[in-house]
Amino acid sequence: MAATVLPVPFERSPGYWANVWRRFRREKLAVFAGCVLLAILLMAIFAPYIAPKDPTFGTMLRRLRPIGTPGFPLGSDELGRDMLSRLIYGARLSLFMGVVPVFIAFFIGSVIGIAAGYIGGAFNMVVMRIIDVFFAFPSVLLAIALSGAMGAGITNGLISLTVVFIPPIARIAESVTTGVRKLDYVEAARASGASAFTVVRTQVLGNVIGPIFVYATSLISVSMILASGLSFLGLGVRPPEPEWGLMLNTLRTAIYVQPWVAALPGLFIFITSIAFNLLSDGLRTALDVKD
Amino acid sequence: MRSPEPILSIQGLKKHFKLPTKGFFGREKPVVRAVDGITFDVIPGETLGIVGESGCGKSTTARLIIDLIHRDAGAILFEGKAMGEALSPKEYRRHVQMVFQDSFASLNPRMIVRDIIAFGPMVHGMPQKEAEELAYSLLTKVGLDPARFAGRYPHELSGGQRQRVNIARALAFRPKVLILDEAVSALDKSVEAQVLNLLTDLKAEFNLTYLFISHDLNVVRYISDRVMVMYLGECVEIGPVDEVYAHPRHPYTRALLSAMPSMDPDKRTMEPPLAGDPPNPINPPPGCRFHTRCRFAEDVCGTVSPVPTVRGSMHFAACHIGTPGSGHSRAGETT
Amino acid sequence: MLFYLVKRVLYTLPVAFGVSIVCFMLVHIAPGDPLTSVLPPDASAQLQQEMRRLYGFDRPYYEQFLRWFGRALQGDLGTSIATGRSVTSELVKAMGNTLILAAFATMIGFVLGGLFGFVAGYFRNSFIDRFASLLSVIGVSVPHYWLGMVLVIIFSAQLGWLPATGAGPGGSSDWAWDWAHLKHVVLPAITMSVIPMGIVARTIRALVADILSQEFVGGLRAKGLLDLGVFKHVVKNAAPTALAVMGLQFGYLLGGSILIETVFSWPGTGFLLGNAIFQRDLPLLQGTILVLAMFFVVLNLIVDLVQSAIDPRIQRS
Repeated sequence: MAATVLPVPFERSPGYWANVWRRFRREKLAVFAGCVLLAILLMAIFAPYIAPKDPTFGTMLRRLRPIGTPGFPLGSDELGRDMLSRLIYGARLSLFMGVVPVFIAFFIGSVIGIAAGYIGGAFNMVVMRIIDVFFAFPSVLLAIALSGAMGAGITNGLISLTVVFIPPIARIAESVTTGVRKLDYVEAARASGASAFTVVRTQVLGNVIGPIFVYATSLISVSMILASGLSFLGLGVRPPEPEWGLMLNTLRTAIYVQPWVAALPGLFIFITSIAFNLLSDGLRTALDVKD
Repeated sequence: MRSPEPILSIQGLKKHFKLPTKGFFGREKPVVRAVDGITFDVIPGETLGIVGESGCGKSTTARLIIDLIHRDAGAILFEGKAMGEALSPKEYRRHVQMVFQDSFASLNPRMIVRDIIAFGPMVHGMPQKEAEELAYSLLTKVGLDPARFAGRYPHELSGGQRQRVNIARALAFRPKVLILDEAVSALDKSVEAQVLNLLTDLKAEFNLTYLFISHDLNVVRYISDRVMVMYLGECVEIGPVDEVYAHPRHPYTRALLSAMPSMDPDKRTMEPPLAGDPPNPINPPPGCRFHTRCRFAEDVCGTVSPVPTVRGSMHFAACHIGTPGSGHSRAGETT
Repeated sequence: MLFYLVKRVLYTLPVAFGVSIVCFMLVHIAPGDPLTSVLPPDASAQLQQEMRRLYGFDRPYYEQFLRWFGRALQGDLGTSIATGRSVTSELVKAMGNTLILAAFATMIGFVLGGLFGFVAGYFRNSFIDRFASLLSVIGVSVPHYWLGMVLVIIFSAQLGWLPATGAGPGGSSDWAWDWAHLKHVVLPAITMSVIPMGIVARTIRALVADILSQEFVGGLRAKGLLDLGVFKHVVKNAAPTALAVMGLQFGYLLGGSILIETVFSWPGTGFLLGNAIFQRDLPLLQGTILVLAMFFVVLNLIVDLVQSAIDPRIQRS
């Protein structure tokens, strides 16, 4: 019978993500924030072409110049390095340290949470109790404890931030999945005889990944602040790499000499962090995620 | 008369849900006896209606039969082969499929109609192209133009259209038995009639056997050949639909039917309607579970569970009245 | 109620146990063992062996854990490798300072955040609502250690109104209730108050808006939003949740104060933790984190119990 029917050309409705994009475009503030982030990202990628000077080269003769000094549009730091160039280069590590842990945690946390939510029962209980243990630490404390114990360095910083963000993402993934698992279409797919893996991949994933993703994007802002905070404490990125948090740390002693130069790196962290927050809020509206 | 070989045989099916709360130290956790020992056969080609008040275990029975929730006890035999033993659950599910009540919740909001229908056959190894063509042809069969509907998302369809997709989805497995769990209950009356007619046509075309679960007695009478009445997780009466509707033997069935509005004044019974709510299935009453609401209840009803007895061809009822020697003052009477 | 109390406490015990396991493991995820960082690199193998035995690091992990756990239960958190003093005594003093700072910060954050949130939720979609929501986005996005620096730049470096560092005059680390000490707490407390402010404002706004949208308030609302009855009703219904949020934020600040304490050299637990990291003083690090995390766990428990005592409907499972 199937052979008698030729593939029918049919009207295809705009997909779910097309609708999300349509709704997102209406969120003016979020679109603006997205543009700001894109600019920062481009700045990070093309840093060698944009930055006027070498970010690691400085001369003690020209240390701590004020903003607007000829040749130093944003002043110079405590080792006489060009602030503008360092801020441009700093976007690389700062973005990397802020975004990557959330992304890794998004994958690991989703797998843990979806597995716990879909399998349920005793497995769910054990997993969620372990997650509860990590929830007993305020996130700042956990990040500092882990990287403090492991020692400074980019890798250690990445690992500790990832560990910090896995539990909250797993918890959200678990609760969303638990809600979806009981719906009839998942039951219908199970009643088809499909394996649990197939059911999760085809039926559950598409319906839970949106809310989990929105939640993860809201964590990037926190992650930016925490990552720079680690460098600020002397953990995470080590000198002489340009990174906003670390720059803030090394310029701390200069607040009585060149206060506004010293405060500049923090402004960049602030702008990036708030842009991620606004973007995440817009995504939340566009995906119609209820809190 | 011996009935023909059943296509589906349900034997002693039981499901008790443990309540998670209130289990305090040594105290035993309360148990909901959602389905408590149900036995019946489904004959090839028939439509067996299952009726009862909400909470009587109809939907749990449906989910047990399709093995979405695992039974605590009992056996399910498809064409004589025990599911889970001689017949693998996956193979079984190709033959027995289900149409869910909530047409919206039962369709994945992120998939287009074609992919929803093609999913099942692909799970069972059909190549994607073939499965998609099957989806187009089934859409035509359920009265939806594939050119217009195959690429739509569920939220772009009306309730009736969604339920047609649900039916097509179930048919894609080429099943022999279709469980319809309140499949038309959520629809408007006019749409309901269309879908019922569609079901009747499809049944003839695909040689289907239906298990039609509903709380709507009129619809069940219209579509069923036989009907089973459930009360608090048990089967109280089962028999040919005309016989049960014309001569209900269990007091519960009679009360249920008397509550049914009739357009014909002559058919209105004088039976008083049911009073009160069904008792709590957590602690079902001992003996006959209906005795707390039964007009004819006597001492024996509160202590001894009635055994189903035959009256007429394939008409069983579980009541002490009509069971000779049961100890009820009206035992053996034809009711 | 008693049943819920017992259940909630029983549920907390395994979490607390898990927390102590994590704290114990902190020392062992570090490269080498806790002694590597303090022993001179040219220390003889015999000396290293001797020290290791003395501190019990040659024992199997579970034994080390049980011994450490047993001592911790008695209040003995080991000896600071850097100072040679007991971790507990270092912590007690620092804890007091952190409590003072966190209490001030919570109060400021709660009062301001609560006010903004309340007004915003009360007059939804008004100008003030948009302003408050902008403020709460800023509040959660600002790197608070940077905000601290900016405040120091303005009020200490430029204006010279307030001291920038320490808990008292002359770098004193002992708190006293006098004007000289209070001046020191102003900047760190304001900086820290920003952390809970945005969250408190958001929560209270949603809460107030929710209460006002409930049907039974409809009758009251007919009298107008400025009616005292409506106002009272909203305050009464919002209070339990607001208090719970405040309690949790207080616990969060106790553990999350490290960056701000570092900026202001506030002699609290965060500052102690910073020093422990800097000097790789692992027993001190471990002890401080254990105590802070336990504080958070216990506070969570108390908030839950108080909340369910006020409103029995919200017995969280």
